[in-house]
Amino acid sequence: MNRASMNCAALALILAAALGAAPSRAHHSFAMFEPTKTLTLKGTVKAFQWTNPHVILWVLAQPEGAAAAQEWSLETTSPGVLTRAGWTRQSLKAGDRVSLVISPLRDGSHGGSLNSVTLLDTGQTLVPSFGKEQPGLK
Amino acid sequence: MGFCFTHRASIVAVILCARFAAAPALAADKDAINAPPTAQDWQALAKLPDWSGVWTPVISDQVAQEKTNRPPWKPQIAKQIQHMYAEEEAGRPFPIIDHCFPTGMPSWMLITHNAFEILFTPGRVTILGEGDGNRLRRIYTDGRPHPADPDPSFHGHSIGHWENDALVIDTVALLPQAYLAVSEAVGVPNNGDMHVVEHLHLQGPDTLADDLEITANKVLSKPWLTTRKYYRQRAQKFDIAEGVCEQGSFTDAVDKNGNAIFAPIKFDNGVPVGSDSK
Repeated sequence: MNRASMNCAALALILAAALGAAPSRAHHSFAMFEPTKTLTLKGTVKAFQWTNPHVILWVLAQPEGAAAAQEWSLETTSPGVLTRAGWTRQSLKAGDRVSLVISPLRDGSHGGSLNSVTLLDTGQTLVPSFGKEQPGLK
Repeated sequence: MGFCFTHRASIVAVILCARFAAAPALAADKDAINAPPTAQDWQALAKLPDWSGVWTPVISDQVAQEKTNRPPWKPQIAKQIQHMYAEEEAGRPFPIIDHCFPTGMPSWMLITHNAFEILFTPGRVTILGEGDGNRLRRIYTDGRPHPADPDPSFHGHSIGHWENDALVIDTVALLPQAYLAVSEAVGVPNNGDMHVVEHLHLQGPDTLADDLEITANKVLSKPWLTTRKYYRQRAQKFDIAEGVCEQGSFTDAVDKNGNAIFAPIKFDNGVPVGSDSK
């Protein structure tokens, strides 16, 4: 095996490892979140990922008692559904200071389902919603 | 006389040609073609009911029917379903629509939370959905039968015809792996030979109803009859959004050359847990 092909093989292994670490687990039920429990977090938006099938809000937050800021992933519904609820991909951006109400993961890890987000600098609160179940919505 | 005969023959030939041109393409005929539509074909579309707009599912009715109209599962399948409900209750939902495969038929119509739109063109009704990247149904209304041996697919092979203002859709050739699901966490693969007949019709000025008869002999003890409803929206903010499911497994990043790329997100038990790229 020459050097070039060895490099290719190494790259293939790296890619395979990377892909292996990121299985396509994008579309799922929300039953892994605890619907009857809510948690309030304050933090800073790291990224607002406007993607199907679930929009993801990445926030750096330091819950009470935590030694340092932690990265939290908050999932919610899809861009199409959120657009109907008045959101846009610009609704949140990196650096925004936010307060979140979430239904946390049942296993206690740093993730949850987003119930609402309030922009601390403007006071605006955004709530994900499937919208009212009726025709002719404005 | 000879001239008249020839002239008549020509007329008959023209009529026959026109007749055959408009005749449904028989799939059994290996030479069948999709004939170019005529002006009359386009004008005929105006007589169809108005199904324009964007249709949003009545999710509360989907949920209610999980209790009020359960599929007649075979006993061994009912045990699997019971286990799935228990797992969901315990916070371990079964990933029915994981891996970004299309939800497929008939689960798309049964459990979707996303909107769809319906397009009429000559000889064809097309349903375009939002969510899974390839959420698309092609329903041939040109009179063709199902192919003799169609390739199985997530959405199957669909032919349709109009009965008054209802579109009757017959779907076969569904992949055995395509789920018959009642929610995003509960359902089973149909395991083969599933057949779906639908009556899609307006049930009021802005309510579309889909009456489904699902025959899945590998998992159901008898055909399951159920109806799903969708509400019409006309506000442009309800327009369908692109839905590339796999995109949700990646996040925006920039490579060493400054090119915009997608970087994989790390997942743990189906939940995004971080990416070094942000």
